[in-house]
Amino acid sequence: MEKSWRTFIRLTIGAARVLAVGALLGSSVFRVDAQVEVVKGKHSFGVSGFSGDAAIAGQVTDVLKNDLRLSGYFSLAPVSSAEYVQSGSVRGDHNGIVVECMVMQQATKKVALSKAYQGSAQDLRRVVHKLSDDIVQTLSGQRGIAQTKIAFVWSHNGAKELAVMDYDGYNVHQLTYDRSISVRPRWSPDGRKIVYTSYKNVFPDVLEVDLYTGQRRRLASYPGLNSGAVFSPDGLSIALTLSKDGNPELYTMSEQGTDLRRLTHTRAGESSPTWSPDGRAIAYVSDESGVPQIWQINKDGGSPLRLTVSPSYNTEPDWSHPPANSDMKPMLAVTSRVGGKFQIGVYQSGSGVVSPVAADGADNADPSWSPDGRHLVFTKTLHWRPELYLLDVVTGEQVQLPTVEGGASEPAWGP
Amino acid sequence: MSRKLLAQTILVGFITAIMSTGCHHGGGAGANPSGGSGSESSVPGIGPGGGGEQGVGVRPMVGAEGLPEHGQFAAVLFDYDSARIRPSEDSKLEAVAAYLKANPGKLVIEGHCDERGTAEYNRALGERRALAARDALVKLGVDASRMSTISYGKDRPVDPGHDETAWAKNRRCEFVVVSQ
Repeated sequence: MEKSWRTFIRLTIGAARVLAVGALLGSSVFRVDAQVEVVKGKHSFGVSGFSGDAAIAGQVTDVLKNDLRLSGYFSLAPVSSAEYVQSGSVRGDHNGIVVECMVMQQATKKVALSKAYQGSAQDLRRVVHKLSDDIVQTLSGQRGIAQTKIAFVWSHNGAKELAVMDYDGYNVHQLTYDRSISVRPRWSPDGRKIVYTSYKNVFPDVLEVDLYTGQRRRLASYPGLNSGAVFSPDGLSIALTLSKDGNPELYTMSEQGTDLRRLTHTRAGESSPTWSPDGRAIAYVSDESGVPQIWQINKDGGSPLRLTVSPSYNTEPDWSHPPANSDMKPMLAVTSRVGGKFQIGVYQSGSGVVSPVAADGADNADPSWSPDGRHLVFTKTLHWRPELYLLDVVTGEQVQLPTVEGGASEPAWGP
Repeated sequence: MSRKLLAQTILVGFITAIMSTGCHHGGGAGANPSGGSGSESSVPGIGPGGGGEQGVGVRPMVGAEGLPEHGQFAAVLFDYDSARIRPSEDSKLEAVAAYLKANPGKLVIEGHCDERGTAEYNRALGERRALAARDALVKLGVDASRMSTISYGKDRPVDPGHDETAWAKNRRCEFVVVSQ
């Protein structure tokens, strides 16, 4: 996926690329112009749709509009007045579907994107997500999220099972069938594996499932609690919570489950580790001060450093890892409890303060960053029923994902 | 303790340790509770292993059917956000200790939270509650190696209600005796 958009950019920025856009415009040929200005802020985008097979075109249009809206970079507008305008065609045959799409800057008539995509009919959403990410990348210079996945805990038939879905809530795919409790998923950086906490062998263990092979292996099954496992950014280490030495403490181990090292030595409970983008530090929860707050420690251990002071109760941190060329800087999202309710905030580095980004009277908790470092998925609990929501931290907009029967919680956004 | 009894105790302890370690590799005691997820391999060296583990006891052998019935002992209850054993709960712990001193078997101590906190933090809090109960039982004369802990966080409430009555019941430790 990544390889093909890099190729696309190279071709675009290099010599002008010429692409015929078939039936839509007869035999006209369009040039894709280099140097389309990177879009900052929201820009208006008009979707004129796709000619060709009406059923396919309708689905493609729906997915495209939703992707553009969720990206945060565009507001959908009438074609006549929009700054950027899309046109295209679709066709289906025995090989699958082909989607051709052109995006033009209306004022200048510059063609920003002109490309064809193909895939099997069942892969229609995936094909359009690729198109959407290309549009985001081309017009904003930023990485899109349309092709990403979210793992989560599905409360279902009295059990908690792991599931994975597309970032927009579609294509829910169940991962565990243990009729037990499977919770706290975290992705490997290559998106190939998920580590999680499983009670299928009665005691809480850290297991790992390979999404490609379905193979599972046990990584930590010490006496007491084994939980909170999270991969380092290079994928070679895992931080986790173990209570085997007397109370819940922070440890690291290799991604094989070997080379166990203890990091914290307190009388309090530690939990919920998350790695810094450079992989050198770990932020986590400790109630050493009497209430849960966010602390930080070097990955090799040493003196813990307290980060948060205000609000008076902070837990469940997640550290973003935006790409190097991103507009977004790394941020630490935190779950704070204020007045008995939970809210999501961002830690203001060096200040001790967590500033709210999702505080609205519901219980908002367990944030997980998208790989673009701009969006969060989190659990909103209203009337005691947890659902997953997306948050664009730049605009503050929240979007509810399609509801999952039984309830969804503890989301983890994949790479 | 007489020498013969001491020798027997050591022998039983040794055999139990070997059996626990042996059963721990390769997927845990008993059959895999439900299929469909492929086989599971253990990494060598992971698990309670041999000596050197302090604090929490070695896991007891529990079969595919899971833990036996709860309810033999009254649950120990906790204040919100707290893992402190309240004086009002002491008599419940004394009852558990008295039973264990008079009977063989191992004890599994479950730690639980009410629904209001966040999921992962509550797993740590539930564990601290179970460990607090364990420490209290050690002080009452129960051998630490007979006891192990399971924290369920807020995932296994005993009362599904959404009010203080339900929450107070859910902030608890439960005690389950297993034969091995």
